[in-house]
Amino acid sequence: MTQSDPFASPTPARFGRPLKTTTIMPLVTVVVVIGFFQVLNPSFLSYHGVVTIVYAMSYFLIAACGLTLVIMMGSFDFSVVSVMKLSALLCVLNIGKLGLLVIPFALAVSAAIGFINGVLFAKLKVPSFIATLGVSVVCDGISLLASRGFLHLVDDEKFRSISVTFIAGLPSIFYWALGIWLLCTVVSSATPFGRRVFAIGGNPRAAALSSISVDRHRIRVFVLSSFLAGLAGVLYVSQQGGWSMEMGGQMMIPLFASVVAGGTSLRGGIGGPQKTLLGVIIITWMQSGLLMMGLGREIQFVILGIIAIIMSVATIERGKATHLMVK
Amino acid sequence: VNHSNTRRSGLHGAWEAVKNYPVILIVIGLLLIFSVLYTKRFLSPVNLTATLRQFVTLMLFSIGPSIVMLLGSMDLSFIGIWMLGSVLLWMLTPVIGPVALLVFPLLGLATGAIAGLVHTKGRIPSFILTLSILITYWGLTVVLSGGYPRKVTGYGFITASVLPRVPTPFLWSIPIVVAAIIVVLRTRLGITFWAIGSNEEGARLAGIDVDRYKTIAFMLSGTFTGIGSIILFEHLGGSAPVDFNMNNVVRPLVAIILGGTPLVGGTGGPHRTILGVLTFSILYRGLNLSPLRPEVIDLVVGIVLILSVIINSRGTRVKGVDIT
Repeated sequence: MTQSDPFASPTPARFGRPLKTTTIMPLVTVVVVIGFFQVLNPSFLSYHGVVTIVYAMSYFLIAACGLTLVIMMGSFDFSVVSVMKLSALLCVLNIGKLGLLVIPFALAVSAAIGFINGVLFAKLKVPSFIATLGVSVVCDGISLLASRGFLHLVDDEKFRSISVTFIAGLPSIFYWALGIWLLCTVVSSATPFGRRVFAIGGNPRAAALSSISVDRHRIRVFVLSSFLAGLAGVLYVSQQGGWSMEMGGQMMIPLFASVVAGGTSLRGGIGGPQKTLLGVIIITWMQSGLLMMGLGREIQFVILGIIAIIMSVATIERGKATHLMVK
Repeated sequence: VNHSNTRRSGLHGAWEAVKNYPVILIVIGLLLIFSVLYTKRFLSPVNLTATLRQFVTLMLFSIGPSIVMLLGSMDLSFIGIWMLGSVLLWMLTPVIGPVALLVFPLLGLATGAIAGLVHTKGRIPSFILTLSILITYWGLTVVLSGGYPRKVTGYGFITASVLPRVPTPFLWSIPIVVAAIIVVLRTRLGITFWAIGSNEEGARLAGIDVDRYKTIAFMLSGTFTGIGSIILFEHLGGSAPVDFNMNNVVRPLVAIILGGTPLVGGTGGPHRTILGVLTFSILYRGLNLSPLRPEVIDLVVGIVLILSVIINSRGTRVKGVDIT
């Protein structure tokens, strides 16, 4: 690989650039994964198989889009799963009192948590992963406290119909996810905001010197990430019709694996939501494939952990100047 | 640090100690609060023994990571080493007998070597790398144990009572902690760690092979966790666990940061972690005696984590290092 010019202006990854290994590899992996499970299990690509996978994929994609924005800014958000859980719980607990108004309420709370994350990171200079780790512990505590550890069910038809109405053979949650994904892609690759976030990911100091208000953008991205996590939680609970403390489980590693498998680099400044779609397809289709083969969740974690490590190494661009300390 | 007016040496020493280790004030404050609130129960021998047991658990888990955090990196794999090591012990004991205990330090060493090499050669952030390793190990543990906690018998001698009221694991942990402190404070290796932690680029320019020393730090961390896990395994019930709880990862981290090893590297170390662990153990036991529900205690732990990081990262931020 050639050494990139350290003085070249940082250009965000966009469509239409010459294809590189980090772009081709996820595509090839998608084909390999689907082919592999199709051969092993002919019902994998049947209508029911696809609907199952679409259900597993949609809320996951929304949460992954938020995490992608944070990672491409060179930070990390541990609290995605906890925020998702908390926002889903808020919906379940208050749907009787507030009706559908519960959705803006849950989203507002999620965004507020994101704001706390952002302030801790950008203003108080706490490293993002430890700040969000702390916030996620607090969120889980609140969830446990508010739910008292019980299983909660939703039977509000209107609320359920947000996710499970079938349009053209696929559940509506799929279209929500697709819409959010498109929106994130447009925002990150075609707006000044997205360009600045890329710039901060590429080199925060240079971004600050180019009169980008780094702190404000960092806070915005964390708010966005938590907002999307909250939305994923709302749609998840409307799809599942129930909430339990186990919801999400150890979802952080699959989420993270799908972001890096898509080609967003942990160093920041490279990748974007458009790439995460492929990563999410790889990870969720693989998970569903393994489940259909009758393999448990645990062996999935072994595989996902290894994938996460390999993909994070693969997506780091060697030629990039080492202005970021490898922490 | 200059003082314009001279003080008497005793007072001065105490002042210096408090200034260097502000967490001492928190320890004293917590002790006072809990002693006044729950006089009978908090100062009872049973509770003091329980506090010591809690102290040992946290101390042995946090000794390794606090070495790595000195370099400004992060090692979250410790729970994984303990879990996977326990299940390997369960598998190996019938085959090779008590020699199987060596599986802990060997697994720790191997894990540290992998983490260090991938972190330095692959240039990926250590926290996400070691988190991935942790999750992988947890998956392996469940797969290998078949999904049930496995009781391993025959290692009761590790925790056999020696002194009344003092848990034996506490006695075991003393040489381990002392060894870690000596490595960090009294060897060339330790000095190199401090140098890398406080200014990695400077250390590199001074001719230190940063990648090599980082790998060594991870290997040391893994080995210390491995040795500690021999004791922890028996201390925490003598069986191979299958349940993974993120709280087990967070608590040692809180203790390390409370002790004054901020995440930027270059300050802190295992000797400070002792105080952090002490603070956390006292806080945790005290909260357990209080009428608060266990969920609230978890919440408090999270808030303490955030607060201690904020306080610790005040003013200690090294110029030229961008913490992400």
